[in-house]
Amino acid sequence: MLSIKNLHAEVEGKKILTGLNLEVKPGEVHAIMGPNGSGKSTLASVLAGNEAFETTEGTVNFQGKDLLSMEPDKRSHAGLFLAFQYPVEIPGVSNINFLRTAINERREALGEEALSAKDFLAMVKEKSKLVELDNKLTNRSVNEGFSGGEKKRNEIFQMAMLEPSLCILDETDSGLDIDALRIVANGVNQLRNPERSFIVITHYQRLLDYIVPDFVHVLYNGRIVKTGGKELALELEEKGYDWIKKEQEQVSA
Amino acid sequence: METAEQTTKLSSLASNLILSYTGNSSAVALFDGLDFPTTREESWKYNRTGQLSSRNWKFSKAQEIPLLPFNLLNYPNRIVFINGTFTPLHSNIQPWKGIELNTDVVVSDVANKRPQDAFEALSLTFPQSGLNIRVRSGVEPGVEIAVFHLFTGRDTISQPVNNILVENGSRLQITEFYIHAEDAITFANVKSNIVAENGAIVEIDSVQIGSENSFHFHQTDTVLHKDATFTHNLVTLSGKWTRNNTNAQLKGKGAACNFNGFFIPNGAEFVDNHTIIDHESSHCQSNELYRGVLSENAVGVFNGKVFVRRDAQKTNAFQSNGNVLLSDGATMNSKPELEIYADDVKCSHGSTTGQLDDEAVFYLQSRGISSGNARKMLVAAFAESVLKNIMNVNVRQLAEKTIEEKLK
Repeated sequence: MLSIKNLHAEVEGKKILTGLNLEVKPGEVHAIMGPNGSGKSTLASVLAGNEAFETTEGTVNFQGKDLLSMEPDKRSHAGLFLAFQYPVEIPGVSNINFLRTAINERREALGEEALSAKDFLAMVKEKSKLVELDNKLTNRSVNEGFSGGEKKRNEIFQMAMLEPSLCILDETDSGLDIDALRIVANGVNQLRNPERSFIVITHYQRLLDYIVPDFVHVLYNGRIVKTGGKELALELEEKGYDWIKKEQEQVSA
Repeated sequence: METAEQTTKLSSLASNLILSYTGNSSAVALFDGLDFPTTREESWKYNRTGQLSSRNWKFSKAQEIPLLPFNLLNYPNRIVFINGTFTPLHSNIQPWKGIELNTDVVVSDVANKRPQDAFEALSLTFPQSGLNIRVRSGVEPGVEIAVFHLFTGRDTISQPVNNILVENGSRLQITEFYIHAEDAITFANVKSNIVAENGAIVEIDSVQIGSENSFHFHQTDTVLHKDATFTHNLVTLSGKWTRNNTNAQLKGKGAACNFNGFFIPNGAEFVDNHTIIDHESSHCQSNELYRGVLSENAVGVFNGKVFVRRDAQKTNAFQSNGNVLLSDGATMNSKPELEIYADDVKCSHGSTTGQLDDEAVFYLQSRGISSGNARKMLVAAFAESVLKNIMNVNVRQLAEKTIEEKLK
């Protein structure tokens, strides 16, 4: 589904990703952990096509296509979804109109007919239940005046509406209390299926108690330096990242 | 006896206009010493009148309706003027209860007048037809009147003068269209005099649609008496050169004034909005919101003056101008001005000019919306805070359609 080879990326001339490799197969859940500044969010931004990040080397193949040459909207049409760490507030643009435009642009790109208002609203009703999102929020301006938890639930709601094949969750757990975390994780788990893959970027192990990963990767200095099963997350929780840093220093010495 | 009068652009235009003017012209002496403003004058600092003042304008009658972006018949109560002349053929006026209405040319007594600028001098000297309406005291007409001022021809000048009087406790709602024909070369010099008596409510949606060769000047002077409310929604959708002087004098205690403006110039279009809100009495309030969206090489000006006089205690005055520049070539000159001489008032003003939020564009794009549509959505949202005040649904839709078209 997704194949990242030797990915290098920089922002404002600063090198962040320095040769990252990652393979994601359909239905797999990959957790990416790592200390601050290791490049986790950069990876998410690069995959989604944020122009502020420049890729200088490497390839990303998504569903047989060269992802890096695609505009962000085309990446979405191809089935990629990024749940933002900091969802943007957009005053004046209603959540519901925005989603309907998004869904219908994708359907048009895929040669499908536009969703009728009735079917769309039925879908909104069904999917908003998934993350217990209040009807009132779906009618408000995008993220405007939403609490931290509401913003993250709105991200997962959008994810459910757009039915992507690859979901990237960028620190979706940050700023969530334990109840909100449970709701968000529940929503994600209900969206898991054998065709849909996830990349879960997180600082903390606690999200992985709810969304159980198949693989845990440690990102450090812009590369994946360690890969393991879900037990690696527990080990990191217990021991921190220092031992990884030391290991790396020994390797490079 | 004769003084050696200097030939100015204004005086030579005036002596030309006498030839085509069909009304009774007043003294040309008004032009003594006056000429078209230059950028040396503070209130014309960003505005070049050279192309306007050097053309050989003439009055010209026409009967034919130019191509319009809507059907006139959608407006059952309509008054149509073409090139400053009332056109009964296309109008539909009913004897509305409590409303006195005519389209006569109102000739001012110019003997003691000192026109403030070339535009006023021209208008006073060669006035043409406009809407003269008087709403009798205590009447709520309940009709929405649409006024169309259409401008056609080559080198045509039009000088409509509107006089609106809304008496004690009555109410008037008007939609005005100023439309310059697409392939014409036209100059409209419009004057509106509005008086809202005690407790009267006056609401005007005013739409300006210009052309590649249109020059549009509109001076609106409003006097608000005790507890009167005036709402003015001004939408400039297109036009080569547009200048609006929109003024309100809050003369009576408790008067309220709402100024909303939206402009969306592209290409080499120029839009200049000057407003003055003068708080003379206590307990008045004013709300002003102007928003502009400028693309390509468009140039915009906003100069909003709010005066709070010494006696205008308990004033609430709020003014805001926001602009979005969609290209590197677009320019906005914004100058909010607030002068306060009273001490117990609440006033604020602010101005922002910037680009669309890249993060918001990316967010929308990441959900599958093309960058073009994402930008349109954000511009529409930006405009919404002004457009939501427009009373006439058709006007709103026209504005939304223009956003859609100009952002292609």
